[in-house]
Amino acid sequence: MKLLMVSVGAGRYAVAAEAVAKIMDPALDPGFRHEGNSAEAIHDGTRYPVVEIDPGARGAGGLYLLLGKGGARALMPVDSAESIQDVSGTAIAPLPTFIFAGARRPVRGIFADGRTPRLLLDLDTFL
Amino acid sequence: MSGGADPLLTFEVGEAHAALPLSMVREVVDCPPIVPVPGSHPHVAGVTLSGGVAVPVYDLRLFPAFWDPPTSAAGGGQPRHLIIVGYGEVVVALLGARTDLLERVEPETPESAGEDPIRREFVRGVVKSGARSIALLDPERLFASLGVPADGFRSTREDEREENPAG
Repeated sequence: MKLLMVSVGAGRYAVAAEAVAKIMDPALDPGFRHEGNSAEAIHDGTRYPVVEIDPGARGAGGLYLLLGKGGARALMPVDSAESIQDVSGTAIAPLPTFIFAGARRPVRGIFADGRTPRLLLDLDTFL
Repeated sequence: MSGGADPLLTFEVGEAHAALPLSMVREVVDCPPIVPVPGSHPHVAGVTLSGGVAVPVYDLRLFPAFWDPPTSAAGGGQPRHLIIVGYGEVVVALLGARTDLLERVEPETPESAGEDPIRREFVRGVVKSGARSIALLDPERLFASLGVPADGFRSTREDEREENPAG
């Protein structure tokens, strides 16, 4: 499956590329507005929920992924978007659900990617 | 007493000397990259890959219920080893320092642990090695308290899932 590699703070993540409609840089997009830590942002006159991978972990970078799945849409802030890679499903090990403290399970798998493994996000948690 | 005279893997965690039955230990490795997971329990240091399987890594120093007094968790050496343990069908790992083997020692009752900073409920017995008292951990009690089910997770590959793996 094709995955978009992103980072948030020190965290390295991957998101299914087919669910990413657009990568936005607010500095270059006059139609985008997200104030402070508001739970919503506006893009081209449309209001979207903002979903955080790891609240509080974000660094100075400022990109937003416009995610879509079915009829659901959301904006996900990330520090950087690095590459798109084709990763085989056999290379992705699912995470045990018992490690999560609550019902929110933002990550579904882990796979080798260079020296440090990378986490695959579970979009069902965000959309 | 179960766990009787089996060989033990001993290790240090915080200010405590602890041990697990060697029969549970699958592997001890130098600490590989551990990836923190958002939303996980505070005592989960992260996840690592071992043989293509996601192995949750537990840091007992971050598990307050394990310690008496809680400040005992802060001492000791930096954990440099990953102790990979098979618990039922589940594979988990504990962070530890100064791992060693201890051959066939009959444990004494937990009450003989003296000043050992591990709460008694997690101690199955105490073994002596020289001047040291080593707490033989009760794996069932410990892992249940950490939230690890004995048979609640089967390690599968992502492509074995029925739904769309893209999420």
